[in-house]
Amino acid sequence: MAEPKSTQGSLTIRSVGEVFSFFLFLARRAKKTKVFFFLSLLPVVLVLVIKVNQILSSNPSVSVTSVFSNILMVFDLQFLVLILALFYGTSVCSEELEGKTLPYLATRPIPKSAIILGKYAAYTLLIVIMMAVSLVLSFMILNSSRLLTVSLYPELLRYLGVLVLGLICYTAFFTLLGTIMKRAILLGLVFGFGWESVIQYFPGSTQRFSIVHYLKSLLPSYPSGGFSFLLFRLEPTRPGLALLALALLTAAFLALACLAFTYKEYIFED
Amino acid sequence: MTAVIETKALSKWYGNVLGLSDVSLQIEAGITGLLGPNGAGKSTFMKLLTGQMKPNIGEVRISGSRVWNNFGLFARIGFCQEQDSFYEEVTGWEFIAGLLKFFHFSPAEIKTRAEKALEIVELLNDKDRLIRAYSRGMRQRLKFAQAIAHDPEIIILDEPLNGLDPLGKRKLIHLVKDYKSQGKVIIVSSHVLPEIEAMTSNIVLIHQGKILARGDIHYIRDLIESHPHIISIKCSRPRELASKFIAQDFILKVTFGPEPETLTVETHNRDKLFGLLPALLLDNGIEVEEITSPDDNLQAVFDYLVGK
Amino acid sequence: MTIREKGYTHWDGHLLQTRFPWWPITRTGIKLTFKIKGFRLFFVFSLIPSIIYLVGIYVSERMENFRFMIKGSEKILQINPGYFKSYLTGDFLLFMMVMLLVFGGARLISDDLKNNALQLYFSRPIQTKDYFLGKASILLFFLLILTLVPGLVFFLFKLIFAASFAFVVAYPWLLLSIIIYSLLVTVFFASYTLLLSSLSKNKRYVAVLIFAVYLFSDIISAILNEIFRTPYVFLFSLKVNLQQMGALLFQQKAQYAVPWFYSFLVLAAVCALTVLVLRKKIKGVEVIK
Repeated sequence: MAEPKSTQGSLTIRSVGEVFSFFLFLARRAKKTKVFFFLSLLPVVLVLVIKVNQILSSNPSVSVTSVFSNILMVFDLQFLVLILALFYGTSVCSEELEGKTLPYLATRPIPKSAIILGKYAAYTLLIVIMMAVSLVLSFMILNSSRLLTVSLYPELLRYLGVLVLGLICYTAFFTLLGTIMKRAILLGLVFGFGWESVIQYFPGSTQRFSIVHYLKSLLPSYPSGGFSFLLFRLEPTRPGLALLALALLTAAFLALACLAFTYKEYIFED
Repeated sequence: MTAVIETKALSKWYGNVLGLSDVSLQIEAGITGLLGPNGAGKSTFMKLLTGQMKPNIGEVRISGSRVWNNFGLFARIGFCQEQDSFYEEVTGWEFIAGLLKFFHFSPAEIKTRAEKALEIVELLNDKDRLIRAYSRGMRQRLKFAQAIAHDPEIIILDEPLNGLDPLGKRKLIHLVKDYKSQGKVIIVSSHVLPEIEAMTSNIVLIHQGKILARGDIHYIRDLIESHPHIISIKCSRPRELASKFIAQDFILKVTFGPEPETLTVETHNRDKLFGLLPALLLDNGIEVEEITSPDDNLQAVFDYLVGK
Repeated sequence: MTIREKGYTHWDGHLLQTRFPWWPITRTGIKLTFKIKGFRLFFVFSLIPSIIYLVGIYVSERMENFRFMIKGSEKILQINPGYFKSYLTGDFLLFMMVMLLVFGGARLISDDLKNNALQLYFSRPIQTKDYFLGKASILLFFLLILTLVPGLVFFLFKLIFAASFAFVVAYPWLLLSIIIYSLLVTVFFASYTLLLSSLSKNKRYVAVLIFAVYLFSDIISAILNEIFRTPYVFLFSLKVNLQQMGALLFQQKAQYAVPWFYSFLVLAAVCALTVLVLRKKIKGVEVIK
């Protein structure tokens, strides 16, 4: 007798939760997590260097605001987010295949989609925490003299929101890549550092065929000076639409990933 | 007995390579030994049974339900895979308890089951060590533990004795037999013949993706009427005994050796030979040290079936 | 004699040393790399710039026929050491080389660590240097096809199309520069890849590291330059260090006013680190007599 859909749904949600907690625990233990955590703290180191330079130099070359929006956000958005999302997103499926641990999950009474969603959620949370710690620390160091200025914090939250959305959407895309392709990393690199960079130079609607376009449309301010070329020809989408586009893209990528994982056969390379 | 697991015309290709060919089986409660050399299709069959692969032709059903994408069935199935792979950065305890979570047990029940499973495989004292630090034998036992921790009805074991020392093998065999007495359905695969013989007499012989024979080993042997039986007799006067055998029409061949004072007799009617043998020995005062049937084991049966 | 009475001893005979004990590692590695799906297509694609540059050499000798196409751009097609430098130190070529390393180099040592294969290697009569040379040569093979071979082909075709040795007379050192620079860049990239590959058993992680470290070094130097406004920050960039060495060897003006030996030191430090890390990894599995 088929279970009622509501029971199936609650079972799936429960299973997602169980997978989420198991893999969050595993990921926290992994050596790679420590490495990526230190990688995500590199902007903090950079900011410290800049701050020390500003203190020692009587004529600092770059203002605090400029450092945050021009340097930090560009570095985070166009490098760190991509690297974290690429590694952890492709890991959702690929690490089970490479490690040959997939049978432990596939022979449990949980829907296959729960495995994808649970792992995705665990890894995304992990990298969001990494990014948030990095961004908040950097922000606090840069604005150490005016931490009590309340008006600063909405901007910080907005920047953080953009990065978090970027992580959520990119991780979902790379999760999909990992479930359908063997060499997901290579394609991910080409997409993340090739397509996402190049497409921005195309005018009009072509820009909308990239994830980074919607993320940049949500930025509170745009870089200028030496980094303005990175937003060359940006024709931003309205924030509401950009949010919707990101949400739809994330949902679509995850749905496709669940479908692919459910119906695809994975054969180990012995 | 009703079949719990049923396969019908089960076939699987890996590209152009045939992994499994037209396998139709019904498996009831008890231990079924799946025997075949490497590359015979044992693991393919087990992967199809456990829903890790979808058959190209045919179907697999467990208690009448199809296996592919039917995750509900796995509450009743325990699978021990052949590959030696784990989540290395956790302890044995965390591994077993973590996987038990997926059965939706309560935390207290998880604790109880994990302790019981680790105790059964004698890993309770090492439960807090990282799996990375486990020996090969401990890893194998841990794999078995995760397969039985949720007390499944159906236990599928792919080469479960790999990496175990002789004592470990004996204990595991004993354990598998215990599960049989509890009415569980156990399928064990191996390419090591004495291991299968020690566990069960219900054998499925598989070679190049095809089922060659199925049933009790002695029954299988008897099926092969075209191949004579060989009996080896170590006695005090082998040549004298040989001269008595030669006169019988059901004796096909008599040879001496390889050991000293050993006589090897080939016959197509083993029952007649054993009927005659005691009288021959008593009447002629021949002392017997040993009587063996070198080909009444799986190796010989297998070799005959694959045409060696 | 029972087994208990027999002790294990190492064989005391003399091993016949082959001339190139690392060669089987290289040969097998190249074969396996070509078997990777998509690698051949990718490798052919990475040769496209060399074909374009070769066509440029042809066009430069037939300027009168192609003047209508390259109006105003004749300067680009002046075949001089700068032309060779622009190919060999070009951003696109360096990027393609890194992608090639990601594709074919990430697994070289990480797979051996994952599968405990180091013991298989070192139970054979090879030494650490043979293992390193064997693995490095796999990468050298592919990278030299992208650098040295096109460089020599350009030189040769320049002579053929020009039908004179004036080019050689004008730049007698050019051939040596092509060889030295090609070796420098390939040895560096080979060391860089083996260093990162030896850090983890997970080839996906290594692939990300190979790309990320290369790109990160570039980004960080650009950022630091904005802050400190000094060209010395470009020593952080692996790409810039290679380009500085290229400028030196092809006797061109360097992009940044940084002495060349600093760039050389940075590149040499990476190679030295590779040797140190590999020796440490291998020490644990070497057979000790």
